[in-house]
Amino acid sequence: MLIELSEVSKIYNQGHPNEVRALTDIDLRVEQGSMVCLKGPSGSGKSTLLAIIGCIFPPTSGRAAIAEKQMTRLPDRFLTLHRRETIGFIFQRFNILPELTVLDNITLPLLPLGVSPKERKLRAHALLERFGITHRAQFPAGQISGGELQRVAIARALINNQPILLADEPTAHLDTVLSREFMVIMQQLKEAGKTIVIASHDPLVFEHPAIDRIVTIKDGRIHVP
Amino acid sequence: MAQYNIEKQLNILDYALSSLWRRRMKSLSVLLVFAAVIFLLASFQMVTQALSDKAKQVLAYTPEITLQKMSAGRQETFPLTYKDQLDGIFGIRRVVPRIWGYYFDEVRLANYTVMGMDTAEMPEGDRLDSALASGKMPSHEESGRVVIGHSIKKGLDLGGRSTFSLFRPDLSLKPFEISGEFSQNTDILTNDLMVMTLDDARDLFAIPAGQVTDLCVYVANPKEIDTIARKISDALPAVRVLTRPQIQKTYQVVFGWRSGFGSICLLAALAAFVILAWDKASGLSPEERREIAILKVLGWETSDLLAVRFWESVIVSGLACILGMTAAYIHVVYFSASLFRPVLMGWSVLRPELHLLPSMAAGDILLILAFTVIPYLAATVIPAWRSATVPADSALGG
Repeated sequence: MLIELSEVSKIYNQGHPNEVRALTDIDLRVEQGSMVCLKGPSGSGKSTLLAIIGCIFPPTSGRAAIAEKQMTRLPDRFLTLHRRETIGFIFQRFNILPELTVLDNITLPLLPLGVSPKERKLRAHALLERFGITHRAQFPAGQISGGELQRVAIARALINNQPILLADEPTAHLDTVLSREFMVIMQQLKEAGKTIVIASHDPLVFEHPAIDRIVTIKDGRIHVP
Repeated sequence: MAQYNIEKQLNILDYALSSLWRRRMKSLSVLLVFAAVIFLLASFQMVTQALSDKAKQVLAYTPEITLQKMSAGRQETFPLTYKDQLDGIFGIRRVVPRIWGYYFDEVRLANYTVMGMDTAEMPEGDRLDSALASGKMPSHEESGRVVIGHSIKKGLDLGGRSTFSLFRPDLSLKPFEISGEFSQNTDILTNDLMVMTLDDARDLFAIPAGQVTDLCVYVANPKEIDTIARKISDALPAVRVLTRPQIQKTYQVVFGWRSGFGSICLLAALAAFVILAWDKASGLSPEERREIAILKVLGWETSDLLAVRFWESVIVSGLACILGMTAAYIHVVYFSASLFRPVLMGWSVLRPELHLLPSMAAGDILLILAFTVIPYLAATVIPAWRSATVPADSALGG
């Protein structure tokens, strides 16, 4: 198993008056090379679950093993180190820095890894070519179209060739055409061996044939119909 | 590992540069304000040091001991016969009488410092000629000849003439002929100075014959100045005894006080700038918070984000230092430190036209760096710690 969560709970501000229980007793196993959709309404806990899988923070209780490493008691620094080796992120609205060029946006995850400029350029150009946006390499990211932006975000998530790809509401601000295009790329990546977890309540995503499994989250729990 | 760390720091430096470029208007405004603060501090330090050096250089000509008579707290003339009472003091090389006074030129509304003396009598009389740009010092036989400072010559506006007249107290005119002019290198002390024979000075001020204002005492061994001064005080209790180190100390105190006052004002400006920098660095715009959260999710550690801010501050403060110090040098050399003249040169009616050579010891440069760059780094990097702890999950949706 590439992702293995057992009785995972997350409580924000534990012990304080503003304590919020976001997740309760989550059990989830995701095999390598599969694509899972986390489905649920806003506030259901999808993003929190994605953050735990993405090693952004550890669960309050339970066990979480990502790429065979136990996350539960890992300090923040090690979570970061493990995250950058293992997880690629695609954000809602893509979270591209608009003033940086497309090339600089794509290579952002490589800067703290001490990758040389030559190597960074080489890796980025391979991805730009793969997604057909080589001609946009030196454009400020704020000046490219929504479809190109989406491909830049995917390229950035793949730049370090991490085995797991997490996407948080990736189609929330895309039209139908771009949403379909996004899922086609995800399908290709899955076929290339990537393990993909997408948090979305968009039918175009969870009804896509490439999705192996839908996990419905409701009030912080996995909902079994 | 070392290669990895170097490459990583270079990457972060590259990102810091691009980050400064993206916020170029903000970066430029901080850089300019910072450079202005360094410019003020550095040029103040340079001019103070240059003036102090210049004063030291010129004061080397002053006698080792000067005797003056004080009455009711004011200086008055005394008989030349006081000189005889110094004969028995061992170690005195020579005693030279002098008349020192101030002449107010009502036509040009300027004060001149008048010194009447026989320069040939002074042990270093020959050296005095090196303070002249042209001509020579008048000997005691050359009545009516005078050496004047640069500003006096300019103020007299003589055209091609070398003669002029001054009024005696009874309003009769006393004619003078210029026999030499002081070099501009000694402007700080000679700018408003006239040197003439002792008799001419007596005549100009209507001082009775046989009276002087000062006795200049030269000693054989400079280490004995204090001892001889004490003996003179014992022999002539009514006379004020001033030693060269005391006069030098007075000048140092004057410069020290003036520069200290200026420095306090400038340090207050620096403090205001640092507070502003702290305030700016502490407050994060929503865009900046978002950028930090994105970078953290993408695998940047808190230390990487601090390194970005550190490099940004190093670049800004380094550039500000280069700009500020270069501007200060130009200000002192080419503009004669015109901004600080009212503070540092406020004692003379005839303001010397400064030709200063900036003088700055390595210690002064380090001091300025310590007072500017270090507070700026602290004011920007310390609050950045708080900024860098923006939770990464804020980049994710709800």
